[in-house]
Amino acid sequence: MIDPRRPAVPGDVRRGAVGPLPRTTGRQVVVLAGTGDDARVDWGRVGVHQVADSRDFTDGDVPPEALRDAEATVFSALGIAVVTADPGQVSRLQSAEAAGRPVLSVSPELVHHVLGDESRSYTAGYRDGVADLAGRLLSEDAAPGAARPAAPTRFEDTAQATWGVQAVRADVSARSGRGIRVAVLDTGFDAAHPDFTGRSVTARSFVPGEDAHDGHGHGTHCIGTACGPRSPSTGPRYGVAHEAEIYAGKVLGTDGSGTDAGILAGINWAVTSGCPVISMSLGADVVQVHPPYSAAGRRALQQGSLIIAAAGNNADRRAGDVGFVGAPANSVEIMAVGALDQALEMAYFSARSLPARGGQVDIAAPGWQVYSAWPMPTRYNTISGTSMATPHVAGLAALWAEATGRRGLELWATLLQESERILQPSVDAGSGLAIAPQ
Amino acid sequence: MTQVSVTVDDGHLSALDGVVQGLRAHGMQVDQVLDGLGIITGSVPPGAAGALTAVAGVVSVDEQLGVQLPPPDAPVQ
Repeated sequence: MIDPRRPAVPGDVRRGAVGPLPRTTGRQVVVLAGTGDDARVDWGRVGVHQVADSRDFTDGDVPPEALRDAEATVFSALGIAVVTADPGQVSRLQSAEAAGRPVLSVSPELVHHVLGDESRSYTAGYRDGVADLAGRLLSEDAAPGAARPAAPTRFEDTAQATWGVQAVRADVSARSGRGIRVAVLDTGFDAAHPDFTGRSVTARSFVPGEDAHDGHGHGTHCIGTACGPRSPSTGPRYGVAHEAEIYAGKVLGTDGSGTDAGILAGINWAVTSGCPVISMSLGADVVQVHPPYSAAGRRALQQGSLIIAAAGNNADRRAGDVGFVGAPANSVEIMAVGALDQALEMAYFSARSLPARGGQVDIAAPGWQVYSAWPMPTRYNTISGTSMATPHVAGLAALWAEATGRRGLELWATLLQESERILQPSVDAGSGLAIAPQ
Repeated sequence: MTQVSVTVDDGHLSALDGVVQGLRAHGMQVDQVLDGLGIITGSVPPGAAGALTAVAGVVSVDEQLGVQLPPPDAPVQ
């Protein structure tokens, strides 16, 4: 946006905000479509004749002399070439007809420096930045009514979508979780809920003496967040992976209680059923890692199933108590999810990482005032908890599983890699806000 | 009786039946054999859990944890 207090002056071209433009070598870095295959680029057709290929050197170790002398050096294991080429040649490299295989990108080779060399220019840039900020703030004070800085992001439920669905960008994702099985191990599911008519739902109870119907509400709420429809029968969208296949495993009874036996049986069922995503909004407030959950998490990952669990609600940050991640989320092999509010700040109850291995919060998601499905006739309910943050991440995991084909630890890494960093301590929010593929 | 979860090592995942026989011989009532996870659940008389670690292939024997959700009308769950 153009600042109205700074009228444009012809010829007054502002430089990039981070300082002088980077230096380039005149060579081009070419990213090829593949790695290691034998279809070499036809460099001769674009006028490049001296080509060094890393496969021609022992262990792919290309000496600097070869880099200097060759017009093109191909690093076949990376699918990248460094080419001495003028802009005309570059354009011909990118055309499919000229090259033996497609070229994904061509970029100027940059000159990199040890960062310590930049300290003087960094300091100068910092000084200029502070001066600029001071100038802006003072000019605002001098001009009452001038535009204030934008308020920090605060999400709100709308007629179209809940704040959580908006925050994780599920509402603008092209992905739906189609073809991905999502297991939610909880209090069961209300199969008669009108928002799930026509959906693929497999329900199973691991609670002795109870069928898979949800007599509590927690399970239906979590399934709603993870897998609810794109267009509910009434009200806003509240679900993330709206075409995922639902596996509702009842491991907690109508009274909300359960034990290892039922929970582990539910995990076993989800893994052997081929569910890439297993959502567990449950836990016990114990500091010690529980070995069966570590083994279950590790073996689930090996078989392509990612277990995502609630970090826990044992904090009271209003009273200065940050709590701790309980079991099973404190197993290193199980992803732990913290809860955020509409300002993307920690919910007061969201547990903090333990110092021990595995006790960390891995990622965060909306968990404050979350609207979702509830057993009929109530239909919908708004509640809070890391239990509500967890199925947001489970739904997002389904979207990423669909988008990338990744499973297990690769899917885990993708969720963290793609999460949006936020202004919260990593001990509370891990890698930040989980978001959907676009 | 004490409810326990027995975790089996990687080397015995394809030989769970033998582990189950060993656990029964040491006094465990076996309820579930979770072959996808390599975990066996069941119960033992009070004080007998420690003896199960002597069975070949057993990594750990842990008393089962319980979890408890707040009631449905609780604002934080």
